[in-house]
Amino acid sequence: MSEHNVDLELDLRGLACPLPVVKASKSIKDVPVGSVMKVVATDPGALADFPAWAKTSGNEILDIERNGSEINIFIKRMK
Amino acid sequence: MDALSYLITGPMVYLSVGVLVFGMIYRIFRWLSVPASPIRLGIFPKTQGVSRTATVVRDTFLFPQVAEVNRRMWLMTVLFHFALLGVFVGHLRLLGRFPGILEAKMSESAHLAGGTMGVILLIGTLYFLFRRFKSPQKELSLPEDYFLLFLLFAIILLGDHLRLFGHIPFEVYREYAYGLLSFRPALPPALMDSPQKIVFVWHVFFANLLFVYLPFSKLVHFAGAVATNGIRRG
Amino acid sequence: MAVSISEQVRDLLKEKMNRQLLYYLDICARCGICKDACHIYRATGRVEHVPSYRAEVLRRVYNKYLAPLGRLRRDYGEVTEEDLQKMYEAAFTCTGCRRCMVYCPFGIDITWLISMEKAVLSSFGRVPEELSMLADAAVEKGKSIELYREIMAEQIKSYEPELRARTGMPEASIPIGEKGARVLYVALAGIHSILPAAIIFNLAGEDWTLSMFEAANYGYFSGETSKAAEIAKRIVDEAEALGVKEVVITECGHAFRVMKYLAGGWLKRDLPFRVRSIFQPFAEYLRDGRLKVHTQITEPVTYHDPCQLGRNGGVYEEPREIIKTICTDFREMTPNREKNWCCGGGGGLVAQTDLENYRAETGRLKAEQIKATGAKTVATPCENCRLQLALLNERYDLGVTITAVTDMLVEAVAVPAAKGETAEEISR
Repeated sequence: MSEHNVDLELDLRGLACPLPVVKASKSIKDVPVGSVMKVVATDPGALADFPAWAKTSGNEILDIERNGSEINIFIKRMK
Repeated sequence: MDALSYLITGPMVYLSVGVLVFGMIYRIFRWLSVPASPIRLGIFPKTQGVSRTATVVRDTFLFPQVAEVNRRMWLMTVLFHFALLGVFVGHLRLLGRFPGILEAKMSESAHLAGGTMGVILLIGTLYFLFRRFKSPQKELSLPEDYFLLFLLFAIILLGDHLRLFGHIPFEVYREYAYGLLSFRPALPPALMDSPQKIVFVWHVFFANLLFVYLPFSKLVHFAGAVATNGIRRG
Repeated sequence: MAVSISEQVRDLLKEKMNRQLLYYLDICARCGICKDACHIYRATGRVEHVPSYRAEVLRRVYNKYLAPLGRLRRDYGEVTEEDLQKMYEAAFTCTGCRRCMVYCPFGIDITWLISMEKAVLSSFGRVPEELSMLADAAVEKGKSIELYREIMAEQIKSYEPELRARTGMPEASIPIGEKGARVLYVALAGIHSILPAAIIFNLAGEDWTLSMFEAANYGYFSGETSKAAEIAKRIVDEAEALGVKEVVITECGHAFRVMKYLAGGWLKRDLPFRVRSIFQPFAEYLRDGRLKVHTQITEPVTYHDPCQLGRNGGVYEEPREIIKTICTDFREMTPNREKNWCCGGGGGLVAQTDLENYRAETGRLKAEQIKATGAKTVATPCENCRLQLALLNERYDLGVTITAVTDMLVEAVAVPAAKGETAEEISR
């Protein structure tokens, strides 16, 4: 398991397109700058979508873990 | 003849018909000079060749789909436009005789047919006008919409009066039109001395205004509707 | 001197003018017949929801600055900040279903005017945050895909045991980015869009490979055409690099239309492959006996034509053909095909989270239409439609199951799923 201090965990498993990224981008505004949000997704696309989204939205991906069909992504709010 | 009547039924007619013709040429040229987007906007299902043409013609002149969603508007619109076409054809008799038996037949039925179409046009114009007083058409309307309907109403009302109550033989109007065509515009004595003269002059005046304004108004839809209906089926 | 808003809009309109747009601006008679064709106006009765009224601000600028003799006319005012806001609300609350185009006596395409409004708005930076964000992320993904190729492939491969169980084929696989395949299948980001199709492709013995990209194009919804073209180009480039004969688009309305009818125009070239909707090969497999139906669905089923796939994409019959083969009680909605009511979710509206109540309200006609069929299952091949129908299902108490057509097909032809092994529900 990851050692990050998670401030918010978001369950995005099984969500239809394009909700995972939409929900994540909404929710990250609920945590203070500098804190970490963990999302749990099942979209294989999330593996590339979240890094691409983080780059364009100016946030940072700290870690991506694959756990069977589940994908845990740790995002640090940068601004 | 008084100067004002002369100006309206003579020089102004040339001027306004000139603006109409050149204005429309300009508008059509303007449409064609802008490049079309390569993106095809047509809806499905698509048809090809003759059946596509037939669909475009049907859509343009009968737009049957409108009857499904707004029967009254469809009925009034179809009646109005066909009456307009009928009245236009009727006015063509001013410019020359129709071939063979057609001329006699048209002459015979002119009062009834022309009168009926004139009344339909009047009702149609009022319907279109009153519709615009109601929401949401009210908010959708621009001053232009009311101005055009006012012009049409004036032209049609005066035209109906001449047709139904004027009692001036058709030959008199034809004589006036022939005068225009030979560039010697004059009101024939039978019209000049009639109490209908003033009605006729105003009828021509408003028609002139419509001719001048038409190429700069939404009424250019008469020239563009086939093209846009074609895009829908393209 | 600073240019006014009106002048900025004018210049953009001038620059982007095309013949179709000019016709539409010139000849709309403002008759308002379009209001009777619009599910939104029919549900709300509000003036700003009359389709032709959505182009009101644009038309005003055109009439004032660009129409012949427009300068002489004093009946149109300047465009203000409030007008831009009005334009924004008009442009981004329309689902782009183009039902009004079917009914307009002139055949005017309001969405063509709206796409111009979206171009104007994006030049002022006024685009719904979600749509713009999704489009940006998709463009970025296209640039950095090589970094993620391996890990994504691994993740997708982790579903192969389930695929083998459902096909009964020990060699069944999900090939990714394989050169020389006949078909490139473009799915959505979720496994729910990959696994069922993979089952069918394997059962039918198709020579296929999976795209690294998702079919959705949020640049198209946001009206940022350059981004939309960029997003579509990722798939075009991939298909060309792999040398496929055919690109098959998953169950998605706009993605099919974008790839088949818009991408070539945006990229200004003919695409060197055929584009088909997933239903076209699937219906062929059934017809040719490459798929065998072992279980038929007996509950009443109805089909919702997604606007972008049907009216705007021309795929009406194949999904029906598939449903009629696997269901014994198929019921049409009335009206259907090009006259079908929009569900209210298109145009990127489902991605705009603040529009949920608006979507529920404006989906009323769709909800009534579904109720009238008496169907227990609504099949529809568009993720946006399914999300919206799920909302209507809840708000109008429809008590129906909403499903993708491919999911139904899988149940009819694949090995029945063992307990606990089913593909994940998508309409959660």
